[in-house]
Amino acid sequence: MPARDFLKTGISGLDEILAGGIPRGNIILLEGAIGCGKTTLGVEFIYRGISQFNEPGLIVLFEVSPDKIVRDALGFGWDLRELERTNRLRIVFTSREVLRQELQQADSVLLEEAARIGARRIFIDGAAQLATSNGTSETRSAFHVFTEGLHRENLTAALAIEASLYRSGDNGSMPEESIADTVIRLRMEESQRAISRSIEIVKSRGHDYQMGRHTFRMIDGRGLHIYRRVQAPRPASRDRAAAYDPATRISTGVPGLDDLTNGGYFVGSTTVVAGISGVGKSVMGCQFIAEGVRRGERSMMLSLDEQVEQILRNAASVGIDLRAGMERDLVRLEYEPPQEIEVDVHFDHIERLVEEFRPKRVVIDSLSTYGSTLGTHGRVFRDFFHALVALMKEHQIAAIYNHENPEMLGMASMMGDFQMSSLVDNIILMNWSELGDAFRLGLTIAKMRANPVDRITHEVEVINGEGMRVLPRALRVPVDQHPFSSYAGLVARSPERRMLTESPAQRSRAVRSRDKPRQ
Amino acid sequence: VFGGVARKERRAGERHTCREANPPWEPERGGMSTSGDGQTRLKWTRQLLTRTPSIRNACDLDLMIFLHRHPRTLLTTEQLAGFVGYNLKEIARSLDSFIEAGLLERTAQQSLHAARLFVLLLEQPQAGGMLTLLEQASTREGRKTILEALKTRDSPRPELRVIESIPRATG
Repeated sequence: MPARDFLKTGISGLDEILAGGIPRGNIILLEGAIGCGKTTLGVEFIYRGISQFNEPGLIVLFEVSPDKIVRDALGFGWDLRELERTNRLRIVFTSREVLRQELQQADSVLLEEAARIGARRIFIDGAAQLATSNGTSETRSAFHVFTEGLHRENLTAALAIEASLYRSGDNGSMPEESIADTVIRLRMEESQRAISRSIEIVKSRGHDYQMGRHTFRMIDGRGLHIYRRVQAPRPASRDRAAAYDPATRISTGVPGLDDLTNGGYFVGSTTVVAGISGVGKSVMGCQFIAEGVRRGERSMMLSLDEQVEQILRNAASVGIDLRAGMERDLVRLEYEPPQEIEVDVHFDHIERLVEEFRPKRVVIDSLSTYGSTLGTHGRVFRDFFHALVALMKEHQIAAIYNHENPEMLGMASMMGDFQMSSLVDNIILMNWSELGDAFRLGLTIAKMRANPVDRITHEVEVINGEGMRVLPRALRVPVDQHPFSSYAGLVARSPERRMLTESPAQRSRAVRSRDKPRQ
Repeated sequence: VFGGVARKERRAGERHTCREANPPWEPERGGMSTSGDGQTRLKWTRQLLTRTPSIRNACDLDLMIFLHRHPRTLLTTEQLAGFVGYNLKEIARSLDSFIEAGLLERTAQQSLHAARLFVLLLEQPQAGGMLTLLEQASTREGRKTILEALKTRDSPRPELRVIESIPRATG
């Protein structure tokens, strides 16, 4: 069976969602409303073909003048003029009527021009109405004739078609879509008052591709970048390639906590530290990173709440010099403002950081900010968190996620709306206890997969210049263990000891007497 | 649409390398500004026109501007005339003059289709001061000066058609 000939677009991120590229010779329809980026995509398709794959190309324009295309391309760093000078690109201005006739002529001037430079790709901007505009069967056949002309020349053609109906949420179809081999739809997605761009492969004959709407951006000096939809399933090959280590642990960095966790967190594990604001979650995270530095392991903190300088200052206040770790390239602190996060873009950023920096420890501060940014309802947050956990596991990173629990003394909303506890290996609760006239800090390990957990609350202290430590449980006499029947209010999570002064027989008599109807 | 508005957006010195020296009153950048003595500008423009003999009238100038912005154009001569806004006879005369001067190439007329490919050749040495002239024509003031210089050069001025609507690119 002959190997299939795929054409790579060369556009950052696009070939990934196209599972490697587009079968050569396909007619590609780029459709979308005004300002969606069709022309930029088409021009980059030609530019990348020339500059990366040595495939000369032709750009055909009807409305936009070539000098504007050249000027705009220069903004992305693409020198089209130079490509024209070196006979690898031709930009031809024509009319639709002429082009239609040209593609039906055996001695087409346009196709001769393409052949002269050995063109393999062609981009036709504003290809709508090339084959009349009534949406009738006549349109279909005229468009078919048009595409046949391109096929005959073995050109892989991208045709930009303006389709105003493809605004957010709309669906529809045009006759051209059924004839084209690949249909790429660009949209401007509205969310609240923000607008983001999305790209969808509606169809592509002859190969697999990733469905759904992926985010894309147009970046000055670079061009288009497509960010894979975070909800899209990861290729199974990535999960298979990950070498899981089920036994190695890494130290938490908090004195006393390693004992409670049987020697630290497992590599590749997911730990959520939950507690109200100011309870010491970030301090714990900084100590986790500082421990990594001490052991020469790379560590990373990604914060949506505090800027890098603030994190450094806070760490210094508990005696941790993260700056020294940064200078040794063992620590990376990243801050991203939480406003209007585009989840695909954000995840791509984290993925690249992880792949480049290769940390063993990661602290994410905080899940609650993600919740308020992405919304805890719907699937976006859960799918994002799922992807994050999978990424960390693939790279065998022990990850800590701080989660601000708005309840001061309770834990009902600890996971609540987030619906993610099944993905979490370890849950550490940080809570204040009011004893006398002071709040004292307690730490409880509520969940720890593959470990015995006593679920005893331990006292913790945070000392300026020294950091956090778990205090020893200095009990001189063993504490009596009482059965559940000795308590009331267990389900309400506020148990109180019953003062039992009567025997069970006396108690049942008392109940009968209480329930007896009065005479 | 393809006339004055778009002309202003053209960037200086981007395309070709054989542009001549800037006007004496604007040493830093090419093109004309409202500053500077009007007579000096007119005199300098007349000198420039002596080095661009194929620009003899407004039609030549506007066609050259169009071709400069669309250096590889596949159109019928009628469509070209429609875009530039002159009558067919004038456009044909201008085209012939450019081809004769070696500034333009045109594919041969095919029997089955009337469209021809026009390729501007301003990188040739014979382009002379054409790029400087085009630079000057990129502003309203500069174009006015060129037209005034052409008028006083004893060239027969072509009849300008009143264009109510320029035909769209749909042909």
